[in-house]
Parts: sequence; structure tokens; C-alpha cells
Amino acid sequence: MKERLIEIFIKSFAWLSGLLLLSAAFVIVGFLLVKGVPTLSLSLIFGDTSPADALLLRRQVLIGLFPAMAGTCLLVLLAVGLATPVGLAAGIYLAEYSRGNLKSFFSLFYDILSGIPSIVIGLFGFSLAISLHHYVKEIYPCLLISALALAFLVLPYLIRTTQFAMESIPSEIRLTAPALGATKLQNIAYVLFPRSLPGIASGVILAVGRCAEDTAVIMLTGVVAAAGIPGSLLSAYEALPFYIYYISSQYRDAYELQTGYGAAVILLIICACLFLAAFYLKNQLMNRMLYRQ
Amino acid sequence: MTENKSNGIKIKTVNLSFYYNRRQVLKEISVEFPERSISAIVGPSGQGKSTFLMIFNRLWETIPDARMEGEAFIRLKNKWVNIYDRSISLPELRRSAGMVFQTPNPLPMSIFKNISFPLKLSGETEKQSVEEKVESALKQAFLWDEVKDRLTDDARSLSGGQQQRLCIARALTLDPEILLLDEPTSFLDAKSGRIIEDLLLNLKERCTILLISHYMDQIRRIADRVMELPASDS
Repeated sequence: MKERLIEIFIKSFAWLSGLLLLSAAFVIVGFLLVKGVPTLSLSLIFGDTSPADALLLRRQVLIGLFPAMAGTCLLVLLAVGLATPVGLAAGIYLAEYSRGNLKSFFSLFYDILSGIPSIVIGLFGFSLAISLHHYVKEIYPCLLISALALAFLVLPYLIRTTQFAMESIPSEIRLTAPALGATKLQNIAYVLFPRSLPGIASGVILAVGRCAEDTAVIMLTGVVAAAGIPGSLLSAYEALPFYIYYISSQYRDAYELQTGYGAAVILLIICACLFLAAFYLKNQLMNRMLYRQ
Repeated sequence: MTENKSNGIKIKTVNLSFYYNRRQVLKEISVEFPERSISAIVGPSGQGKSTFLMIFNRLWETIPDARMEGEAFIRLKNKWVNIYDRSISLPELRRSAGMVFQTPNPLPMSIFKNISFPLKLSGETEKQSVEEKVESALKQAFLWDEVKDRLTDDARSLSGGQQQRLCIARALTLDPEILLLDEPTSFLDAKSGRIIEDLLLNLKERCTILLISHYMDQIRRIADRVMELPASDS
């Protein structure tokens, strides 16, 4: 009887916890949507510039969110683009090649790396930009430095998810290709890597989300309140999370605060689009590697 | 050990011992297997039958903390080779000694891609010859008629018996001299199992087959020779 009661208690506690998390997520997103959606309009994004002119970069958008959206998209693509190849290679190395003490050393090292607070990584990026400036006068805190620092920030996620996805492949599948005469590299390229793609994709998605929301790193490495569309990798840029942070602490009237909510909704939408793109890419890749003749 | 047929010897081991960590699973086994025959390997579970099979394609080397002593020889292309010699190319050895596992293990790809996979690994890309070899392997495995119209379907959509025949066909694509089978029918119903027995009888004309089996009636039906793996004191 007592055991039965404990079981009921644990079961309802688990249910409640799940429900709590779900409702918290609903409340946050709902709150944002209620506050933010009414402010969404073309003029919020493009100000008084015509959308066509803005998209074709014929005219600067001065008071809209367009430069911040462009900055965030460029930043995420650049950072994830830099981090993904390195992260995958390191993950494959950890799962398939490293053994024994070296493996535990690397694992510990990547765990430490994933524990570094983002503000410290931002500070490091800032110092890097300053010391590089001594040698190359064109380098200031900029888009490239931010992307490098963010790539560094998300590297541990990519490494760990890749390693975990590869290691959790069951041994029957792991042995199939070698039993048919595959070399180790062939086994990784034709069987283990394609099989790990779903896991790797979730790592990439985590990285995308982390890059899109991070404010601490970019604040120190190149984001500014009004820079327009970045002209090159070495120029300053705007970003949505920084805009939200800035406007919520410095707003002058109710309308400006409203645009902050609008920016938050747009950030959510951009993240959702990037997630969908990552899923699409994963499916296409798997299809090409496994099914097409 | 009983012998029904005398033939040329294809495979032999000399003083073969095997350890996982410090636990000994095989103890000083010296045995010979004749060519073009089906040799059944029997013995209680956990006595290293699967390990014994993996000696001949060196697949055990991927298992951490495993260790082998002694020697193993196979007569490949009519020449005796020590398969643990340094000069042996592992992929080549594994192409000459195909293996089929207890659970059917089709790769998550189409039927065609599964069968042509070993060809891709060995660098054969000529489309016509690949297609011919896939067809011939599927015919040898008694599967061609059932799948010829659905070669691009996912191999995992086949039934258990079909999947196992697919795995046999896949091992046959490279025309191996030896076929190592680890209880290939234990997860199949009687009818699917009988089909596999028939095709093995058909194959022994060109392959030397080592077969682990639990079923005495199966062994009586198809094996030319039975080897009982001695219990090892651990």
C-alpha cells in the first residue's frame, strides 16, 4: 500500500513538472505574441524607407529593425558556419579515434570549455580584436571577431552532440561495413556519419539558437546601436538581441518599448526559420547519402 | 568431432586461444575445415562461438580488450596465407571471408544500395557491372524475384527472412571464398529458415561455409561436418 502511494506521488509529481514547464513556455511565448504582434508592421522593419529599396540595399534604413535582422542572420550563419566543420571533426575524432587517457583529457577540456561564461568569451574576443589592431590597423571589434567568439562559444555543443550521436550507434551497425571490407574512414563516411545526422542536426540547432540569442559576447566584440547593414566582415553591425537589451533599458516612450517586443517576436521567427532550414538540410543530406542510387 | 567427407583443407587454426580481458574464452584450438562444405560449429552459449567465427575475418580486432594467441590460416586463391601476417590487407581479407550475423543487419539504405555497398567500398563504380553483380547476388540468395521491382525501397521494409537473405546476398556480391554465418536462422520462422538452408546447400559448391547453429535438426539437414567447441575453463 505504501509503495503504491509513493508510486502515485512520483507519477503525479513528474506529470506536474512536465505541465509546469510546458505552461511556462506557453506563457512566455504568449506574452511576447500578445505584446509584440500588434506592433509588427512594415514600418517597424523598414521605417520610412520603401521595402524594395531597403532589400536591394539602395537606401539605408535608419529607424527600422531591418539592419538588426540582417546583422543577426549574417552573424548566426557565419558563426555556425565556422563552428560546424570544426565541431564535427572534433566530435568524430573523440568518438572514433581517441582512446584512453587522451580521450578523458579532451572530454574534460571540452566540458570546461562549455562551462566558460559567455561574457568571458566576449572579453577574450575584445582583447583579441585590440591586440590584432596593433598589427593590422583595419581590425576593430567587428562582425568577424563576433562570429569567431560565438563559434568558440558553441563549439562544445557541436562536439558533444556529434560524439554522442556517433557513440550511440548500435554495434551491429557499427560492424556491418567493416565485415564487408570497409576501411575505418569508409565506415565513418558511408555509415556512421549519415546515421548520426539527426543527432548532429539537433546540435546545430542548439548552436543556432545560442548564437541568435547571445548578447554578452557581441556587446563586447562589435555590435553597436546604429551601424546599418554591415558592409564587410570587418565592419560593425546591429543585432536583434542587442536591440532588445538596449531598448528595454533606454526607451524614451511607450512606442519604443513596444518595438522591443516586436523585435523579440521577429527574433523568434528568425530562429524558427533557421531551425526549419537546418531540418531541411539534414533530410536532404540523409536522402542523398543513403537512398539515392 | 565427426567427419563425413574428406576434401582439400581450406581453413585451419593452430593452438588458438582467445581472451576478453583476462577471461579465456577459447583454449588452444587446433582444427581444420575442408573446402566446399558446410561445417557446423556447436557448443553451449557464451563459449565463444561468435568469437571463433570472427577470428577468420579478424572482426574481433574492433573489440576493446580482446586478445588472441596462436595462428589461423586460410587457403586463398590456392595459396596458404597466415591471415594474421603483417602483409595481409584487412579489407581484402574481409572481402574474401563474408560474414552474416544472427540479427539481420541491413543498412538504412535502399535494397540496391545495400547489395552494391561492398562494391562501392572496393571502388567498383562501372554501372553496368555493378547492376549485373547485384542481380546475380540476389539470385544466388533466392531473393531476386521478390525484390526486382522494388530495388529502391528501404531495405528495412523487407520481412525478417528477406532481410537475412539480403544480408547473405550482400556478403556474396564480392564472390567470397568463405562464408561465416552466426546462427543465421535463429530469429526467423521455420519456413524462412528452410529457404536459407536450401540456399546454403546451393552455395557450398563455390564457398566454404562455417555455420554456428543451435538446431540439431538443421545441422543434420545441411552440415557435412560438426565441430563442437570445447568448454574452456575460465
